[in-house]
Amino acid sequence: MTRAAVFVGLVVVGWTVWDTGADPMRLVRGMPWIADFLRRMLPPDLAVLPAAVKGAVLTVEIALLGTVTAAVLALPLGFLSARNVAPPPVFYPARTVLNLFRSVDTLVYALIFVAAVGLGPFPGVLAVVAYTTTSLAKLYSEAIEGIEPGPVDAITATGATRLQVLRYGVLPQVLPLFLSYILYRLETNIRAATVLGFVGAGGIGFYLQTYLRMIDYPAASTALLVTIVMVMVVDAVSSKVRARLI
Amino acid sequence: MIEVAGLRVVLPPDVVAVDGIDLAISPGEFVVILGRSGSGKTTFLRALNRLVEPTAGRVSVAGRAVTGAAPAELRAARRRIGMIFQQFNLVRRASVLDNVLAGRLGWVAPLPSLAGRFPAADRALARECLARVGLAHLAERRADTLSGGEQQRVAIARALAQGPSVVLADEPTASLDPALTSEIMGILKSINAERGLTLVVSQHQLETALAYATRLVGLRRGRVCFDGPPAAVTPAVVEAIYGRKEEP
Repeated sequence: MTRAAVFVGLVVVGWTVWDTGADPMRLVRGMPWIADFLRRMLPPDLAVLPAAVKGAVLTVEIALLGTVTAAVLALPLGFLSARNVAPPPVFYPARTVLNLFRSVDTLVYALIFVAAVGLGPFPGVLAVVAYTTTSLAKLYSEAIEGIEPGPVDAITATGATRLQVLRYGVLPQVLPLFLSYILYRLETNIRAATVLGFVGAGGIGFYLQTYLRMIDYPAASTALLVTIVMVMVVDAVSSKVRARLI
Repeated sequence: MIEVAGLRVVLPPDVVAVDGIDLAISPGEFVVILGRSGSGKTTFLRALNRLVEPTAGRVSVAGRAVTGAAPAELRAARRRIGMIFQQFNLVRRASVLDNVLAGRLGWVAPLPSLAGRFPAADRALARECLARVGLAHLAERRADTLSGGEQQRVAIARALAQGPSVVLADEPTASLDPALTSEIMGILKSINAERGLTLVVSQHQLETALAYATRLVGLRRGRVCFDGPPAAVTPAVVEAIYGRKEEP
């Protein structure tokens, strides 16, 4: 049994190596080019620093507005797709919708929204909202399904209404988890938002792509450095806050 | 106070937990339901306020039909029935006072309560109930920072805050040590005596049951196998409830 599994695994790996043309020697032969690329990026052109920072701030804004909007929109969806809260006729369609929308990445949504509302940060925000709403709703619903049933019983037994039971029996149990998921999504969305500019949806990615296209590598490296610093700062702040929540 | 007729509860997939119980409990009685684990005690208690849906039979509490009641009627019946659980079932992250205030949810206006607002009178009542179980000084603490015995007292205060005519307690001392057992049972006994509250408490410990109950009801395999005062409990009765004593 295990031997068969190992054999199948090896065949699959071999097949993918063949199909993708994976060849370590090609990478080795390409090394000088990468070195050349890096050399041309140095030193960074600090003249474009203000523009890059402006782009980075816009990226953070896109992620922030998108994540906060999605965090709110995901609330009803999360409850409706939790097995222990929603009745089956609601639960199953809600789950299906979530899985459907979640299977498309933020970048693909960005392409759609750029076509719909034009270039700029706004389609970026819409793309973040579209993906994050469903992915947060899924995380919310899993948190709701993991609650202790005891307090819910106790609140139900007091003669509380369904909404009161959700508010007093369920919400206090899941709220810290929800906040932690929102912060985690904010972190990943900032990373996702850096490439949104590549498809015209605003932010630092737009500058990075423009500099690369103009073969202005020193400027591109400034944009890259700003991106790295931005992501690191947001991650550090966010993980500190998350550690406090749990 | 409590009328039970032909009560039958089949739990999924097909476990007959309560198998035809008829019982009438008068106001002010302190009834202890005795039985081994798996005898149907918990399911019986949970069927009295329909936390478990009965398969057949009728239940009414304080003159209100519990079985067959529409959602609003059921809530109206429930708010007169306090319930205490083996695992306390407090909302851990909420404050002690907020946990007790939850006992008022059936009475206050729903919309403000969803925003976390309770009328001053209800807050005062909650503090009173907390003082009644001797925990007024812990009102602002988070519930999960309390000891087990304290948490169960908070749960009693929550039940009292409902202004109940009946309190159901499902193995309220099974998670506590013997000293705390007598403390909790003592509090239950005193609210039974002072307020004339009807109590239905499940227990698996015979000694505790004998010490506090005015009436014992023995359950075995979901049926009543004994019903009488503590004085009527004989070794034969004990065997009927628990089965033949096995050597330890």
